[in-house]
Amino acid sequence: MERWEGEQIAEWGVRNAEFAMQGRVRTLRIPHSALRILAALWRLNLAEELQYRANFVASVLGTLFWIGTALLTLALFFRHTTRLGGWDYWEVVVLLGVFNALTGVIEAVLRPGIGRLAGEVRSGGLDLVLAKPVDAQGFVSFRRLDVWRLTDFVLGLGLAGYALSRLGRVPGLLQLAAFVVALAAAGIVVYAIWVALMSLAFWFVSVENLSVLFDAVYEGARYPVTAYPGALRFVFVYLLPIAWTTTIPASALTGRLGPEIALAAAAVAALAFVLARLFWRAALRRYTGASG
Amino acid sequence: MPPAITAEQLSKTFRVKVRGPGLRGAIEALLRPRYRDVHAVREVTFRIDPGEIVAFLGPNGAGKTTTLKMLAGLLYPTSGRVEVAGFVPWSGGPEFKRRIALVLGNRQQLVWDLPPEETFQLNRAIYEIAPAAYRERLAELVTLLELGDVLDKPVRQLSLGERMKCELAAALLHHPPILFLDEPTLGLDVTAQEAIRRFLAEYRDRHGATVLLTSHYMQDVTALATRVLIINRGRLLYDGALDALVARIARTKRLELVLGGGDGVTAETLAAFGAVKSFRFPNAVLEVPRQEAAATSARLLAALPIADLSIEDPPIEEVIRQAFTHGVEEDDS
Repeated sequence: MERWEGEQIAEWGVRNAEFAMQGRVRTLRIPHSALRILAALWRLNLAEELQYRANFVASVLGTLFWIGTALLTLALFFRHTTRLGGWDYWEVVVLLGVFNALTGVIEAVLRPGIGRLAGEVRSGGLDLVLAKPVDAQGFVSFRRLDVWRLTDFVLGLGLAGYALSRLGRVPGLLQLAAFVVALAAAGIVVYAIWVALMSLAFWFVSVENLSVLFDAVYEGARYPVTAYPGALRFVFVYLLPIAWTTTIPASALTGRLGPEIALAAAAVAALAFVLARLFWRAALRRYTGASG
Repeated sequence: MPPAITAEQLSKTFRVKVRGPGLRGAIEALLRPRYRDVHAVREVTFRIDPGEIVAFLGPNGAGKTTTLKMLAGLLYPTSGRVEVAGFVPWSGGPEFKRRIALVLGNRQQLVWDLPPEETFQLNRAIYEIAPAAYRERLAELVTLLELGDVLDKPVRQLSLGERMKCELAAALLHHPPILFLDEPTLGLDVTAQEAIRRFLAEYRDRHGATVLLTSHYMQDVTALATRVLIINRGRLLYDGALDALVARIARTKRLELVLGGGDGVTAETLAAFGAVKSFRFPNAVLEVPRQEAAATSARLLAALPIADLSIEDPPIEEVIRQAFTHGVEEDDS
């Protein structure tokens, strides 16, 4: 039954990939100069962050504390049941590891970057970005790298690896490759959700803290999507695609889903990216008054 | 030579939500939003030649910044035509943006915790400046702006004036031919203002850059601008030389006196000749109708012991204020 659902999702993803690729591939091309700008930006942040080495310690402690409470909550769950949405304890821990790894990406890049968009729209700080010969979306999204928060990424992957060993499963090369692709796709999906959410700031300038909205939605990714009732599951797979952020990469790693799921994940990521980009452009047109 | 900046019949209208006061107003606005058109800029037409420094004057909310943003390609106009450096700003893309600099006095692009040079390096990457050109331009800007000892200090430790100088340097590394400066001397002390004015004049002379600046400080305007654009409530009221504006609309002249002899002269005595603006023996300032200035001076010299007398135009601030309230039509009365 679960197996069937996975294949169904894979097929849906491939269908969407075809749509996403239609003439839109050029938006995915990254010019050489963009990489140079990115390097300059991150070098800048690195120089800034290295001044505050205490952040590293705080970040590691924070992550360990978070993982500790998450595991404790999970243990409480499993005192009353042996499965959560058909997943056993260590499988869910693999998923928690993936969740934590993505949290690292969110905290290191997205929240300090595009997460500040709403405030800048209100203060007008965005104008200085728009006056520069850069792609505004790319610049706003990737201008920051809070490098210490990447400890979340490392510790998350470590947790997933440990849980995998407790499951007694050694993933094959294909399975690992599928996981890497699915994880990258998960990162892109999370990014797309941020872009779409933050773009709302162009319409509703007074929205105080759009990132809280993201946190509320993303909470749902802490558990396997199969643990949710049907309607919610549908929403998480097809509408607010957070199933693709944790459930799918974790499934690829544990072998719950076959490696072909990576193709579907890549397709979903491409689709989400393109949709987010279109949404951003529409939002920017509104900001500059181009849409009348 | 084609103009550097052309604006024809440029208009911008914003739709804003109207909201009544209090909770009731908030709920009404939520349920039945009503909108009102705000005409920020109305049919503004002007032309600026390469190498000109033009000041944009107007009270807050007059439409200066909106016009500047349209010229810089940050806002689409509701109607009208704009051309800047041969480009239509909002569709010029990166090629256009390489040709302009935008400095906003109340916002900063410098990274707060790092020395300004780090931001310069970032702009070097963004504007794809070759290393040799970068070194040469940075050296020039450092000399002109006297930035020698601030380059390696974190921005947070710099004074407001030093920060603004660095903002200018960051904005000019790519050698844009067109500069849009919104309140570049905002909040600076007199020395720093003076330094920035000197720099802008020197930079224009060296590189022939076109500068459009807004400022609240009249000294900026009188020291730099050969021409002013006066805008109020979205309409362009005046476009021309500053002294021509004064001659055209100032209704009065000021007679500045230094009285000689004893202290027999009182404010009442002076009031017979004109409006007494200030009187502290032996100095006095009288304001008289423009066309009577010469005759009144003669009468004063004949009637009172006067050591010195000069006829001046009213302060420029007052002339501008008058332009905002009464327009710039010639005063025939």
